[in-house]
Amino acid sequence: MADDFVIVRDLHRSFNGFKAVDGVSFTIARGEIFGLLGPNGAGKTTTIRILATVLRPDSGEVIIGGHSATKDPQAVRRIIGVCPQELALYEDLSALENLVFFGRMVGLSGGEAKEQAMANLRLMGLEERAKGKVAKFSGGMKRRINFAIALMGHPELLFLDEPTVGIDPQSRNHIYENIVALKEKGMTVLYTTHYMEEADRLCRRVAVMDGGRIIAMDTPYGLKSRIGDPAKVTLEDVFLHLTGRSLRD
Amino acid sequence: MQNMRHIWFLAAKDLTIFVRDRASLFFFIVFPFLFIILFNFLLRGVGSEDSRLELHFATREPEGGLSHLILAGMETKDESLLAPGEPKIVREKDYAAARLAVEGGKLGGFIAFPENFTRALASGEPLELEVFADAGRAELRTALGGVARSLAAELAANQVVIRASVALLTESGIIPADEPSIAAAVRQMMGKITPAGGGSSLISFKVEKVGEVKETNPSDYVVPGYLVMFVFFAAAVSAEMIVRERQNHTLERLLATSVGRSSILGGMFLGLVIKGLIQITIFWVVGILAFRVDLGHSPLGVVILSVLMVLLSSAFAVMLATLVRTQRSAASLAVITSLVLAPLGGCWWPSFLYPLWLQNIAKISPHAWATSGFNKLMLFGANLGDVVPEVVALACFAAIFAVVAIWRFRTSAV
Repeated sequence: MADDFVIVRDLHRSFNGFKAVDGVSFTIARGEIFGLLGPNGAGKTTTIRILATVLRPDSGEVIIGGHSATKDPQAVRRIIGVCPQELALYEDLSALENLVFFGRMVGLSGGEAKEQAMANLRLMGLEERAKGKVAKFSGGMKRRINFAIALMGHPELLFLDEPTVGIDPQSRNHIYENIVALKEKGMTVLYTTHYMEEADRLCRRVAVMDGGRIIAMDTPYGLKSRIGDPAKVTLEDVFLHLTGRSLRD
Repeated sequence: MQNMRHIWFLAAKDLTIFVRDRASLFFFIVFPFLFIILFNFLLRGVGSEDSRLELHFATREPEGGLSHLILAGMETKDESLLAPGEPKIVREKDYAAARLAVEGGKLGGFIAFPENFTRALASGEPLELEVFADAGRAELRTALGGVARSLAAELAANQVVIRASVALLTESGIIPADEPSIAAAVRQMMGKITPAGGGSSLISFKVEKVGEVKETNPSDYVVPGYLVMFVFFAAAVSAEMIVRERQNHTLERLLATSVGRSSILGGMFLGLVIKGLIQITIFWVVGILAFRVDLGHSPLGVVILSVLMVLLSSAFAVMLATLVRTQRSAASLAVITSLVLAPLGGCWWPSFLYPLWLQNIAKISPHAWATSGFNKLMLFGANLGDVVPEVVALACFAAIFAVVAIWRFRTSAV
């Protein structure tokens, strides 16, 4: 499609013979929230790391905003924001210092970085804790800081790798509302989560990964229609139907 | 330009974190001085004065012989009256006991007068002084040999005078030609030569001062030794902080921004270098003001060696961080390498005291080159030109560590 902001073609990546990503292909339209679902070890995070130019693929092609992630990674890095699954924060710095630091790293001036940092902290409900040391924050607050950093520099494409994992319902809801707000502003988002209800409500399309492959890709409605009445079937039912009920490592 | 800014932001971030960590500040700045104060105290007085040389004498002659008279005259009665550098003369009462003392290792050696000393002196028979010394005490043996030769020469000269005088006196009939009378006359003449009450005319000492002897300040080798050790140690331990950056996923986050790998590496290195420079500045300022450290004839040489030590330690830390996977292994390796290389390289005590083979082995460590350079400049009066080998060696260490670090960081996974 001409309006595809992200194009992924036949992506492969192995670690010591283990195929973490095995022929993944998909596209994301500009302004779309695209869900990448799958059990643990399905290859979601590896896919995001390749798209974020942190990891090089063994083969395949990634085009983001018209730039090749392998041939011109710097151009890609200038238009993306990454919220990793892990808390990638400096615990000895304050919330504001964390945001300003990463703001400077994405090329903002001192003034711009501070301005955006305060705006993002406000967005996350952490304005009053701006000068608090991150080490003393709760898990939910750290998650919100982790998310706020990804927004520094106003990226065109946001990678959200399980941004709401392991936090209290209030923080989770706050992040969820922010993603809705970003959707309304037309930001392109690649979103992974284990909360199927979130994916169902947020994502225009969803891809289900397992064993390094995409085993299904459609709108939430389309996926639910495959196994029953979309009004009665949940995305979790679809997920379990597609990936099975056996436990994963 | 953008890269330089990134490098600076990264270094500034590391410094901010460092300054807020009170334990790190204590470890980097205060802790080394506790060691310096302790070792200054322990090494105080070492090398500050010369130990006085003791020369032991004995005689095999029976009581009443001239040698007894000479020894009584030579013996040091009051050590406090001796001039600086003048040896103490000790009279051994019993020749056999003195020999046993040497054989038992209790005495280094002594000079003995022969049994026929008085007769030989009067009659012109050959006079042989005996030097009995421990084979392992080469320096003392040499000293005793020298003293014995001087003594023999002086005695030989006196022997000629005494013989001529005795011959003249007997021929003129002033004294009888029998042995007791001649011995009495000789004793009288020798008594004039060796006045009782100390101060021997047979042995004289000339003390020449070559330059002013001043007390060695232990800080002149303790401060640079601990500077080398702690600059390296502090940097090496910081490798753990770099590994933490990887384990906390902040490194991955940085790599997803427009910051290049070279900038990240440069930022880490610059942060370490700035910390090291702060550390050496504090070391030298406190060393000069509080411990009265003398930088020698070439303060510039001291500065160059210090800066090189900071550069190579920082490069080592980055290299270490790229070689290990976990914070624990980084910390363990940092401690082990620091605690092995510091004493080997002469940080705890001067390496020039080591046997030659150990000094050669020590050259595998940058510490040895650094302390060697500092000792040359601060203890032995060397100039900058004299420490060129040390400067080159330290620069080579820094280059090797940096090359390995860059290669590993570029090729290793996040």
